[in-house]
Amino acid sequence: MRPFAYASPRTADEIIALLTPGSAGADGASRPLAGGTDLLTLMKADVATPSRLVDIKRAGLPKGIEETPPGLVVGGLTTLAQIETHPAVRARYPALAEATAVAATAQLRNVATVAGNLLQRPRCWYFRNPRIACWLKGGDHCPARDGENQLHAILGGGPCHAVHPSDVAPALVALDADARLRGPGGERTVPVEGLFAAPEGGRRRETLVGSDELLLALRLPPADGSRSTYLKSMDRKVWAFALAGVAARLRLDGRRVAEARIVLGGVAPVPWRAHEAERALEGAEAGPAAWDRAANAALTGAAPLRHNAYKLPLARALVRRALESLAT
Amino acid sequence: MPRLHVDRLRSGDGSEDEYRVVERTGLAAWDATTALTVVGRPYPRVEGAEKVTGRACYAGDVRLAGLLHARVLRSPLPHARIRRIDTAAAEALPGVHAVLGTHSAPAIRWYPDGLLFDRTLRFVGDEVAAVAAESEETAADALRLVAVEYEPLPFVVGLEAALRPEAPPVREGGNLVGPPKVYARGDAEAALREAPVVIDETYTTQTALHNCLEPHGCTATWDGERLTLWDSTQSVFDVRERVAETLGLPEHRVRVIKHHMGGGFGSKQIAWKHAVIAALLARRAGRPVRLMLDREAENLAAGNRNATRQRVRLGATRDGTLTAISARIEQDTGAYLVGGEGSNTSAIYQTLYRCPNVTTEQVGVYTNTGPAVAFRAPGHVEGAFALESAMDELARALDMDPLALRLRNYAEADQRRGRPYTTPDGLRLCYERAAAEFGWRRDRRPSGQGSRRRGIGMAAHDWGGSGYPPGYAWVKLNGDGSAEVVTGTQDIGTGTRTGLTQIAAEELGLPLERVLLHLGDTATGVYAPVSAGSATQATIGPAVRAAAAEARRQLLEAAATMLEAAPADLQLREGTIRVAGAPDRALDVADVTRRIAPHMIQGHGARGPNPDGKAVRTFGAQCVEVEVDVDTGEVSVLRVVASHECGRIVNPTLVDSQVLGAVTQGVGFALMEERVVDAGGVVLNANLEEYKVPTAPDVPAVVHARVDRPDPEANATGAKGIGEPPLVPTAPAIANAVFDAVGVRIRHTPLSRRRLLAALAAHRPEPA
Repeated sequence: MRPFAYASPRTADEIIALLTPGSAGADGASRPLAGGTDLLTLMKADVATPSRLVDIKRAGLPKGIEETPPGLVVGGLTTLAQIETHPAVRARYPALAEATAVAATAQLRNVATVAGNLLQRPRCWYFRNPRIACWLKGGDHCPARDGENQLHAILGGGPCHAVHPSDVAPALVALDADARLRGPGGERTVPVEGLFAAPEGGRRRETLVGSDELLLALRLPPADGSRSTYLKSMDRKVWAFALAGVAARLRLDGRRVAEARIVLGGVAPVPWRAHEAERALEGAEAGPAAWDRAANAALTGAAPLRHNAYKLPLARALVRRALESLAT
Repeated sequence: MPRLHVDRLRSGDGSEDEYRVVERTGLAAWDATTALTVVGRPYPRVEGAEKVTGRACYAGDVRLAGLLHARVLRSPLPHARIRRIDTAAAEALPGVHAVLGTHSAPAIRWYPDGLLFDRTLRFVGDEVAAVAAESEETAADALRLVAVEYEPLPFVVGLEAALRPEAPPVREGGNLVGPPKVYARGDAEAALREAPVVIDETYTTQTALHNCLEPHGCTATWDGERLTLWDSTQSVFDVRERVAETLGLPEHRVRVIKHHMGGGFGSKQIAWKHAVIAALLARRAGRPVRLMLDREAENLAAGNRNATRQRVRLGATRDGTLTAISARIEQDTGAYLVGGEGSNTSAIYQTLYRCPNVTTEQVGVYTNTGPAVAFRAPGHVEGAFALESAMDELARALDMDPLALRLRNYAEADQRRGRPYTTPDGLRLCYERAAAEFGWRRDRRPSGQGSRRRGIGMAAHDWGGSGYPPGYAWVKLNGDGSAEVVTGTQDIGTGTRTGLTQIAAEELGLPLERVLLHLGDTATGVYAPVSAGSATQATIGPAVRAAAAEARRQLLEAAATMLEAAPADLQLREGTIRVAGAPDRALDVADVTRRIAPHMIQGHGARGPNPDGKAVRTFGAQCVEVEVDVDTGEVSVLRVVASHECGRIVNPTLVDSQVLGAVTQGVGFALMEERVVDAGGVVLNANLEEYKVPTAPDVPAVVHARVDRPDPEANATGAKGIGEPPLVPTAPAIANAVFDAVGVRIRHTPLSRRRLLAALAAHRPEPA
């Protein structure tokens, strides 16, 4: 890890000023520090080399879960452990509770924040290896495309083939959550889905959040009779990123599917909203036939690489299984 | 007095004769009828409190005044020549005290054909330079200031690529480590031609990483011309010899200490470069130096279990009698032969089953990746996966129960040397205990619901673990009746300290807490060999017993005078000496030692010879039940029953620990562990995030169906080794259970979700 300066401002405005390139006191290479579970590993791997860390935990930013019946607001600094154990989350937004519970380890969940989880960088073993130049780090090509790509994207890949590592993000997208952001120009609110975009062209990152913006809070709309779940497959029982994950939400009207959300994790550079699967479900009669159609539709457009075709049957199985569990 | 027996071994190749010295002690072995009170009890580890309270001092915990911290610059290229190296900027960085590199280090020979710092680099992670500085961070900063110009050379990664005729040579002379090692008895080719049933399949095993919790490393300090090294090693004496030789020091001026060990698993059974680098840096800086590898370096440059490709052919009659075993084995040696015990993958084919026609051919292959080194039952783990999978395939082809097939081909003698085993029924006992505890039945059908299918599998193994001479110990009795045992062996985390203390306490007739054992120090201990090959308890245990017996003899002679009785009429138990038949005539051991103090009773003990004309081996069998989710490729190991014949069990808790730890490693080897190297030669998962070791939920319920039967022909304690054996059969037993569950044969480890889903997609099983 290289030397860096450290600041611990007491207000959001001071934080944003330090993060804003060209503003007074900023040097253009400051990074916000919350739980640090991603940023510090990037720094140790020499992938991130910030000149200054700006601790954002002492400025009174939103932390914890506030019930705003019939919805819920989750502060950006809320730890995954707080979310996982919150009774209202468990009762009304099981996909979120389940996704946090299977992320990382208990130790990590005790310090990792939900905002940091959404904005974490890919775990791609080329990206994280300081010995390798990859496109996402400014290189000229993606070594995973023709390399050891067993953990890589089957959907939406290129020019970067890394997958988005978050379990929480697919759950929040499936729950139609909004994100409240604050930057130098004030606050804005966007759907969580809108935080993400596959890296392309000159934007070699997975998010549309500015480097001078803070993710203040997440707002969950009323569950409104929806059921939801998150399923994840890993290379071992716990403590691994998803080979594939699926967040699913269904609102049933009798035996008919009134509304559906299918969001895949671990298979694309961003949390992958499976619109075709949702269309296949909406209006359909709940049952194995619909689940099969949705599972197949969810992988529409998949383009597996040499070593990751296994993710197709895996993701399909998880979609089918998730839908089955929601309808029984 | 012990008798010294000197054998002259004629090498026959013109080199110097070797002499082997074995002391014969004449002690009667503890057999099944011997009543023991300390040995056999489940004492907790004697150093347990030190470990759980964090007081135990490991190699990297030594804190000396003025301690510097070292880091090593490693090759970024898989094959290169250093054209130019400039360390001036690194040396000028404040806080840097010493820098070493190929331009400045002495030309010390290392590996068969290299130098400590060589201009030619043969894998990503090969040592380029080293820095000692006030902190690890400063040392790391200094490494970034070392300017190196590399000339890239053609390189090759992976067994198959390295064997191609056009493959770039890892070194002059090509990529074969040497001519194939060939073994033959009978005529396997002829027997295969005539065999009514033939299995002919190719199996592969992956490169696995040891991932010791404590990485390789040491702390080095000089006192004038005397060097002390606290090294994380399985052999303090081998490290002393190597370091003294390379630095041109007499051995008595090098002291190597290893008090506690966070795992070695074979990877620490040789002296590595770090010990010499730390010593050189410390001498140059004039201050002590701590050099511990980080996790990445540990996984690049500190050894691995070699990947193998094994073509296995079995020939059998219709009743399941093996008529031929043939194995052609290629294994990935990596960039260098690092010494130490290599993988003898062939061995298990030659011994596990009775078979008159056996051929094995084994060849090591150089590649531009980190060097392989022994890893817990090296070779046997790889060989057992292939052989025991093939035996399962044969059982299926014959529609025979896999256990019945194994019993039909039961071997009661070492067929390589034509010697009967000291425990010819050892493996049979393991089969019986494992099968009974597991509920093994031939007619059992795979079960399960929906996508989750259950199956059972088994596998067997043999292994060494006999121990061997020489190895020594001393016992001294203090004036207060307490005893100290001194030996130069090391406790590599297995519980050696505890087991040996129990042996001494038993022979001395003292309660365990009145005996303290010192080990892991070449300055104070007498010679003991490397802790490897599951040999430590069976090598040093008898030496400790012999030393204690000698002390006991002297103690009873002194007591005889005080009690006015003949020594032969005295009984010694739990610290009290009694005259047989006269219970009121008794003395505490302390009464005797206090009266003769300051005279000190001292006993010397040596490991005696192994039996003539017989083979001492360990055996085992494991039965496994798995559940396979055919939709997700997830394999859950539900339970493992392990039965292992390791002679007398000195401490049941510690033996259970070895079984549990080995099965855990076996689950990792079977299902998830695999080093991944990119085509560019970079290891992509040299960390504990991407290199998956089992977590607690991955580890099944493990039942150890103990055999615990002394092998008095083996040595004077009747105990044999257990450190390695329980790892050997786990992976094939799991693979066989997976086949039982889903009807798909995976011939490649690990059986990852990726492999399983691909195989299942190619072969959808019939609905259950």
